[in-house]
Amino acid sequence: MSADVQTPAAVADQPVAPGQGLWRYLAMPCFVAVALGALYLYVSSQELDRIEAVRLTPEFIAASTVRHLYLVGVSTVLVILIAVPLGILLTRPFARRVSPSIVAVTSTAQSVPSIGVVVLLALFFNLGVRIAIVALVVYAFVPVLRNTMVGLQQVDESVMEAGRGMGLTKRGVLTQIELPLSVPVMLAGVRTALVINVGTAAIATLINAGGLGDVIYTGLVQNRTIVTLTGAVLTGSLALMVDYIAGIAEDVLRPKGL
Amino acid sequence: MTEAMIRLEQLTKRFPGQSEPAVEELSMEIPEGEIVVLVGPSGCGKTTTMKLINRIIEPSSGRIFLEGEDVTAADPDQLRRRIGYVIQQIGLFPHRTIHDNIATVPKLLGWSDDKIRARVDELLETVGLDPSRYRDRYPKELSGGQRQRVGVARALSADPPVMLMDEPFGAIDPITRDRLQNEFLRVQEDIRKTIVFVTHDIDEAIKMGDRIAILGERSVIAQYDRPEVILSQPADGFVEDFIGSGASLKRLNLARVRDYELGDWPTGRVDEERPTLLAKLRASDKGAILILDAEGRPQRWLRPRDLQRPDASLSDIGLVVEAKVEPQATLADALNELVRSRVGSAVVVDKSGVYAGTVDMDVIMTAAEAMRKAARADARASMDAESSAGQVR
Repeated sequence: MSADVQTPAAVADQPVAPGQGLWRYLAMPCFVAVALGALYLYVSSQELDRIEAVRLTPEFIAASTVRHLYLVGVSTVLVILIAVPLGILLTRPFARRVSPSIVAVTSTAQSVPSIGVVVLLALFFNLGVRIAIVALVVYAFVPVLRNTMVGLQQVDESVMEAGRGMGLTKRGVLTQIELPLSVPVMLAGVRTALVINVGTAAIATLINAGGLGDVIYTGLVQNRTIVTLTGAVLTGSLALMVDYIAGIAEDVLRPKGL
Repeated sequence: MTEAMIRLEQLTKRFPGQSEPAVEELSMEIPEGEIVVLVGPSGCGKTTTMKLINRIIEPSSGRIFLEGEDVTAADPDQLRRRIGYVIQQIGLFPHRTIHDNIATVPKLLGWSDDKIRARVDELLETVGLDPSRYRDRYPKELSGGQRQRVGVARALSADPPVMLMDEPFGAIDPITRDRLQNEFLRVQEDIRKTIVFVTHDIDEAIKMGDRIAILGERSVIAQYDRPEVILSQPADGFVEDFIGSGASLKRLNLARVRDYELGDWPTGRVDEERPTLLAKLRASDKGAILILDAEGRPQRWLRPRDLQRPDASLSDIGLVVEAKVEPQATLADALNELVRSRVGSAVVVDKSGVYAGTVDMDVIMTAAEAMRKAARADARASMDAESSAGQVR
C-alpha cells in the first residue's frame, strides 16, 4: 500500500506486463535490422557490373535517404502547421455550416492518385523539390485534418461543460481541455501522414526531386533488378521505422490519465 | 425575509426553432444558506432553469440577481467563478490529477501554489478522501462515488457562496447515493452554501431540500415551499400527482423518532417472577411484555402463553427483539421495522443499546396528525405574511 501511495501514477503506467511491453518495442527494429542485413549480405555476394556499382555506393544511397527524409520531414511539418489550425477552426461553432463541404473537398483531393498529383503539379508549375513538397502536403493533408477534427469532436461534452461552468474562457477550454484530450487522435493522423509521405516521396524522383525513388527508378529504367530491390527494401524499411518512431512518440506524448 | 442570495425576475428562455419557450417568465427567490430543489417531470425545463443562473444558457429575457447584484449582463466567465457547478456526469478532466482538477478555479483566480495545495487537501478531507492517497491520482483510477466526491470538492474549491447541482447523485448506485446524500447534508451543515439542486426524484427532493420548487411545463412553478407543506398541502392536482400516492408515507421521512413521544409498552426484568410479569401485561392493553436484561437492554417479547409455560427459562422463550431503531432514525425507518415485528412495535434503543421506548402504530398516527397540524399552521402563517407584505407595498 505504501508504494502505491508514493507513486500512484506508476499504477496507471503499467497496463501491459513488462515482458510484453519490451517485446513490443524491440520487435520492429529487430525485423528491420534483419531485412537490411539480409539485403546487405545479398548485395555483397553478387558480382556488380559498372552501372550497378555506381548506383549502390554508400554515398549515393545515403544522399538519397537523406533527401527522402528531408522531403518527408518538411512536408509533414507543413501539413501539421496548416491542417491542425484549420481543423480547430472548422470545429468551432461558427464554422459548423461550412465544415462538411471543406472536408468533402479535401477528401476528394486525396482520392486522386498520388502520382497524378505529383505530375499535374509538375506540369503546371515546374520540376524540383518545392513542387514535390507541395504535392506531399496536399496528399498527407486529409488524415491530419480529419483526425484533428475527429479528435476535437470526440472530447466528452460533459468535461467541456464542467470547464465552462467553472469559468474557463472559450480559449481556456480549447487549450486546457480540448487540445490535450484530442492529442492521441491527432497524433494518429500525423503518423498516418508520415507513412503516406514516405511512400509518396518515392515518386518525387519523377519530377527530379530526388529521394530513394532515384534508386528504384534507375534500377527499373536500366533494368538492374538488384538496384531496384535495394531501393524498394530501403523505402519499405524507412516507412516501417518512421511508423515505429511515430508510435513511440504517440505513447510518450499521450497525456497521462487517459 | 432577508435579501435573497439568488433572485430570478421574469426569466424566459426561447430556443431557436421552438414555438414554446423552455422557461417562461420564471420569478423566484432563493434564500441564503438553503438547499432549494428544483424538481419536476423530465422536459419541464428544470435543468435549463438552473443553467440560466450561471448563464451556461443565456436567457432570452428577464434578469438574474446574485447577492443583490444584477449579473444578467456581467462577464459570464467571471460570474461562473463565483458559482460552484456540479453535473451528473461530473466532468472531471481525465488528463489532470485530482489535485489539478480541484485546483482549476483557484488557479484561474491566481491563488499561490501553497494556498491551493492547502485548500485541495482541506477539501479532500471534507469530502472524506485521504489527500495523501488520492491527490496525485487520475480520475480513471477512482470509483464513481469517489469521482462524485471530487466533483463536489472541485465545485467548492474557491469557496463560492452559491452552488448549482444538476442531478449530482443521479448516475450512482442506490446504496452509494444514499451515503453521498447523507455525507453531503452533513457537509452542508458546516458550509451553509446556497444551493440550487435539480432532480427528477421527489424522494431525493424531500430528503435534500430545505425548500422544494415543483416545476411544470415551461418551468412554471406549481408550488414552492418547505417539503412538509408540499407533502401535507399540495397546491393542486399536478403537485399531488407528482408527489404520488405515498405522500403521507413520504412525510414520515421528514420526522425523527427522537422528536416524538414514544409508546408505552409494559417492560419487565429478566429476573422478575412470572406472576408479576403477567400482572403487568394484563394491566396494559398490549399483547406482549418486553423483557430487559440487567443493563436495560431489550431481550425478548413475551406473550401471555409464553409466560404460562413454567418449564423454560425466561431468556429462552418468547420472541427475540429484532425490530430496533435509534432515536435519530426517521419515522419511516421505524414504521418499516414495526411492520417487520410480530408484536406490532419497534423498540427504540440509545447508542449503547439501552431501552428508550417503543414506536407503535399509535405513535405514528399521533405524529402524522401533529405534522399535518403544523404544516397547516405554517401555510396559514406564510399566507398571512404574504398578504400583509402585500398591504405594506
